[in-house]
Amino acid sequence: MTRWNRALRGALLTSALALVSAAQAQTANTLTISSPQDPGSWDPIDTFLVNWSAVANNVFDGLVARTPDLKIIPALATEWTISDDGLTYRFTLREGVTFHNGEPFNADAVKFSFERLLGEEGDKGPQKSNYNVIQSVNVIDPKTVELKLSRPDPVLLTKLTGYGAMIVPPAYIAEKGDDYFNTHPVGTGPFSMTSYTARDAVQLKAYEGFWGDKPKLENVTFRFITEPSTALAELQSGRVDMVIPPSVPIGSLPTIEADPKLGIVSTAGATVYSLRFNTRDGITADPKVRKALVMAVDRATINEAILAGQAKPIASFQSEQTFGNDPSLEAIPFDTAGAQKLLDEAGVKPGATLQIDVRGNDSTFNEVAQAVASYLSTIGITATIKPYETNVLLNDIIPAGRTGAMWQQTWGAWTFDYDNTAYLMYHKGERWNPYGNDPKLDALLESQRGMTNREEREKVLHEIARYVADQALEMPLYNLNQIYAINKRVKNFIAPPDSRLRLTDVTVE
Amino acid sequence: MAGFLIKRFLQAIFVVLCVTLLVAYAIRLTGDPALMLSQGAGSVTEADLARIRTGLGLDRPFYVQYLDFLLGLFTLDFGRSFLGGTPVRELIGRALPATLALAFASLLVSIVISIPLGIASATKRGRWPDQIIRVLSLIGLSFPNFWLAIMLVLVFSITLQWLPPSGMEGWQSFLMPALTMGIILTATNVRLVRTAMLETLQQQYVTVARAKGLSETIVLYKHALRNCAIPLITYLGIQFGGLLGGIVVVERVFNWPGLGTLAFQAVADRDYPVLQGVIVVLSLLIVVVNLIVDIAYGLVDPRIRTE
Repeated sequence: MTRWNRALRGALLTSALALVSAAQAQTANTLTISSPQDPGSWDPIDTFLVNWSAVANNVFDGLVARTPDLKIIPALATEWTISDDGLTYRFTLREGVTFHNGEPFNADAVKFSFERLLGEEGDKGPQKSNYNVIQSVNVIDPKTVELKLSRPDPVLLTKLTGYGAMIVPPAYIAEKGDDYFNTHPVGTGPFSMTSYTARDAVQLKAYEGFWGDKPKLENVTFRFITEPSTALAELQSGRVDMVIPPSVPIGSLPTIEADPKLGIVSTAGATVYSLRFNTRDGITADPKVRKALVMAVDRATINEAILAGQAKPIASFQSEQTFGNDPSLEAIPFDTAGAQKLLDEAGVKPGATLQIDVRGNDSTFNEVAQAVASYLSTIGITATIKPYETNVLLNDIIPAGRTGAMWQQTWGAWTFDYDNTAYLMYHKGERWNPYGNDPKLDALLESQRGMTNREEREKVLHEIARYVADQALEMPLYNLNQIYAINKRVKNFIAPPDSRLRLTDVTVE
Repeated sequence: MAGFLIKRFLQAIFVVLCVTLLVAYAIRLTGDPALMLSQGAGSVTEADLARIRTGLGLDRPFYVQYLDFLLGLFTLDFGRSFLGGTPVRELIGRALPATLALAFASLLVSIVISIPLGIASATKRGRWPDQIIRVLSLIGLSFPNFWLAIMLVLVFSITLQWLPPSGMEGWQSFLMPALTMGIILTATNVRLVRTAMLETLQQQYVTVARAKGLSETIVLYKHALRNCAIPLITYLGIQFGGLLGGIVVVERVFNWPGLGTLAFQAVADRDYPVLQGVIVVLSLLIVVVNLIVDIAYGLVDPRIRTE
């Protein structure tokens, strides 16, 4: 027994020593980020996940890029012209750019990338439908490319800054094949991907031959951590330097703020929240009732009390930076007496019931829905909240028109153009519009799609927002910030509103 | 023995067939993976969705998809993940060792704690060590393992910063998940050891061993414990199945790169091939462990070997 005791004591001592070093200090020049989801493939045409962008925006470039303040700037193209009819885009390409494998970037690479996206390979993925308007890609000379469109697309330039429009290396893909490219992506961006372990982590390394300013970091690691609380624990223990949205719930902010090593960087994002109405059946088929319900809820108080100041009230279903947002549009005011009067006029008796469908895993919104329900009770409406598994709500309940009288709609219009929201929410037959059928609204929505004049189009978008507010098709709630939790040793980080991290300027101490 | 093994092998095939059929059918009720993949894509038309479904092979009738999956099993080809096309075999090949390592570490924790405690509880029956151990075991049975996991992380990762809160890197990362799983098992095992031990200690051969003047340690650990082993091994075998079930939750909390995390994500992503693959592997694992338990009886108890 004594022999064992001694061995045990020895083992305990070594473990104690090892434990002290277990919470390893992070090495300088390496940034570790927790991301909630592995997109599975890094091929730009395979995915539509925001979390793909967070990583891949460092690996790939498009012809143009979008800055954190949402300006479109030159990337692989140095300049461009758009014909008056909006059907021809001509790009002058940057010279001396190479892919991470050394392959030169030129007009042929651009042609290859778009033909791949719009051809057979693109058929297998979800990206193609976004770029359908591109009819052909013509190489004018090695540094000039022309895109021909079948009809004008006012947001095409924005679409060229991300996702499917990333430029990929033709020779590399021809040699290694598409499957290999999925897991070993090569682009022209500031970082190259050195290793990828599915569902676990991705390693990036600064690319020496990058065409722009050299990245200040040497290495970036993305770890896939699904549980927000686990990601937060990693941040608190110093093993992760940054947690990206949506893994920083409002409820975790006090914990982060209380830790002197940690900080919060947030910016107004694209994500907007509303409660939509079933405009076809039940009491909410009556616009008066819908207006009464909107009036009954004090949305400003909800923003302050539940959302910790990380949200802005909205009057239409879009964020402030969105093209088409009308700052002069005022939300239906909070007015309990007015709401009661409207309800009486509509003949709704006290004790009427309705159901609010929400995403069960969205704890913050569940609180918001509770608050809404209690406001509705002040005008005699009994609301019950029904939580669904997110995918079920999004893919089965809403599109099939099986919702309650109200349902949670969360939306991030990555193009920051109201068309990208309004058309999909309110046009007849669209997936997110299971009940609405309004020829007047449809005509408005269709009319702006062909317009090439920005001012004219903006006017129509304003009109759409006004019409929707007037009909009270939804209860617009708020625009939630994109919240990043960081270790304070991370410097020069500017939070992008669209999760597209570009880590060239970031440093760690 | 050969007849016995053949019978068990046929049983195993039947079990795996039933389980996969059930899972393949059930996951298809969760909804359309094409919708999942195109989420947020501008304006997705029915034609786009149909195109994606064809690409994934989902336009074929259910029985064709299922037979295709079964045929693949013979060549250990589980298909490819809908999310990015990684071969499922590759994903499982990485996750299975992680899960097994955690499962065995948990069993080890449980055995190391429960045997001495169970014996102490039995020998000190009715006195204060027994009372304390029984109360502790009741507490261990009563709290949910995810809660314990969160508490451990709070203390050892956040406050003390001794252990990594998630992931699998180095032996330190095993401590908290294995302890979480292990403690839940320990709670039941202590009681099992105690009961078995109480019964054994009343046997005449224990009295004989003591009368021979053997030390109490040898009497307890060599003579008595070995005779308690049969119910214990049976129970550990059964526990292993439950352990693999419980591991899903614990793996998620600790972001453990194992089968549980893989399955959990596959359900959320509607990734049929990955989920089917994981379930086949899990059910095979349970069948195999039960077989090992049956064989292990023979090793511990020569009487069963000869029967």
